[in-house]
Amino acid sequence: MPKRLYRSFQALLLLGLCVFFASKAASGQLTYYINLRFVPLTIFGIILLAVLVQTLFTEIKRSRQSEQDDDHELAPVSANLWFMLLPLLIGVLIPARPLDSSALATKGFNTNAPLVSADSSAQLFETDSEERNVLDWIKLFNFESDLTQFVGQKASVIGFVYFDETLGKNQFFVSRFVVSCCAADGFAIAMVGEWPQASTLEEDAWVLVKGRVRVITLNDQSVPLIEAESVQSIPVPEQPYLFP
Amino acid sequence: MQNTTSSPRLLSRTSIITISLVVLSLVVSSMLPAGFFALLWDRLNVFATVFLGIFVEAVPYLLLGTLASGLVEVFLDRDQMSRWISHRPVAAAVGGAFMGMIFPVCECGVVPLTRRLFNKGLPLSAGIAFLLAAPVLNPIVVLSTASAFGWGQMLLWRMGVSLIIAVVVGLVFSVEQNAANVLRPVLTSSHDHDHSLEANASFSEKMRRALLVTADEFFEMGRYLIIGAMLAAALQTFVPQSSLLAIGSGPVTSVLVMLALAILLSICSTVDAFVALGFLGTFSFGSVLSFLVFGPMVDIKSIIMYLQVFRRRSVAYIVAIPFLMSLLAGILFNYLQP
Repeated sequence: MPKRLYRSFQALLLLGLCVFFASKAASGQLTYYINLRFVPLTIFGIILLAVLVQTLFTEIKRSRQSEQDDDHELAPVSANLWFMLLPLLIGVLIPARPLDSSALATKGFNTNAPLVSADSSAQLFETDSEERNVLDWIKLFNFESDLTQFVGQKASVIGFVYFDETLGKNQFFVSRFVVSCCAADGFAIAMVGEWPQASTLEEDAWVLVKGRVRVITLNDQSVPLIEAESVQSIPVPEQPYLFP
Repeated sequence: MQNTTSSPRLLSRTSIITISLVVLSLVVSSMLPAGFFALLWDRLNVFATVFLGIFVEAVPYLLLGTLASGLVEVFLDRDQMSRWISHRPVAAAVGGAFMGMIFPVCECGVVPLTRRLFNKGLPLSAGIAFLLAAPVLNPIVVLSTASAFGWGQMLLWRMGVSLIIAVVVGLVFSVEQNAANVLRPVLTSSHDHDHSLEANASFSEKMRRALLVTADEFFEMGRYLIIGAMLAAALQTFVPQSSLLAIGSGPVTSVLVMLALAILLSICSTVDAFVALGFLGTFSFGSVLSFLVFGPMVDIKSIIMYLQVFRRRSVAYIVAIPFLMSLLAGILFNYLQP
């Protein structure tokens, strides 16, 4: 492949990547893939990509002006170029969808997530019980030995619905994925919901569950259960994952 | 020119392996009965999300690494390099490992940078020690480890053990006198000429050249990042991770599970501390430490990138020695502080 053509493809592919990242950043869908904390890094990447695209376009223009020394130059292996199409194709052709119940089969599922630092649990005590999300509840249940203090507290959490055969009648999981750095390390955590009309819920539907907390034993672990007073369906939240 | 003939062959071999693995996984998943296509579509979605997760996370770091490589190419010449770096093996290996403290590169970025430094005459032992140490010892990783675990034992041992492993592997390679036995020939015959610079070129001219090298290398290394990320995503989509976690509880098996997970997850070293933190509840200190030490040195995507720079036998050493040493360190810590 002649050098100038190679440079043009490089420029176009990098531009594609730059636009792809920028559009994901603009739509907020970057958090389907990575922890919110690393979004600034991607922004930095977008800027660097733009600089590279600019440099390549200048180079192409320059080589067009000095026509003669371009002819004999051979480009590096051109197969390198086509691999860069893969992430673009995957990103464009497969609609963006955050991890959901279909990832549970391989990514694992945990009602007892081993989630760290005892100091944050002290803080959690002070937060209003209705402000806590699924992760906060799981943390509290992991770090406190006396769980009776939570019984009867009001809870209001969102998550996607997941049914499992370990659960009783009228019960379902209210699940969230926890992502530390990117979707590759995501794993699901969940609280149990109990609601008379549970069978009307659809798997993977996002719901807001309000009710009072009770402690039940599941697989030899004490886990929080919400006796739901209401289960409302809600749209997929802007940030589907929780970040520890 | 002979290099260009060996590269397409290697490409097809790598892609054949990739494709056959993906096909194999698809075949296995197709054995599940009803709702096959719905299931496949679901799996494909998971695959896409995990793949793009790794890719989006890694691209900025790969850009940084290739940019560093481009700057080294243009601003550092061979004479300066030989003045700075000792050629005695121990000093070179230790020096190479400590050099990792100043370059903010993770395991994707370090590969092109190390290759560039070899081109500039860096001794083998120093380069290998740098390759293995830089992803752990660099300032970004130190900060992220500290913010996950605090300024304590975990950070200290992570850096200490990694440093030891890097120096040991560097020393092993110092036995080899001829770099050509370790490194694959570099495919830069045409762009060496292209980027050769007159000594008095202006700064902006130098920057332009550096950015062109960056772009070339981003494509060259990005290709292997993409293959590696796809493999990792395919494995994650079709191999249950939960069963892996269920195996490990003993002082030895738990370390083995963490090492396997380090390879499988293929997450960037700059952020893996936050992931490791999540394991601390179920896994012992030693096992998590082995994950933190081994993960930055070896995972699916870095192995594939190493294969582009080193000969296969060298890659075997670069993978096997850190594996055994991390295993040993993990087991040792499990017995010392269970």
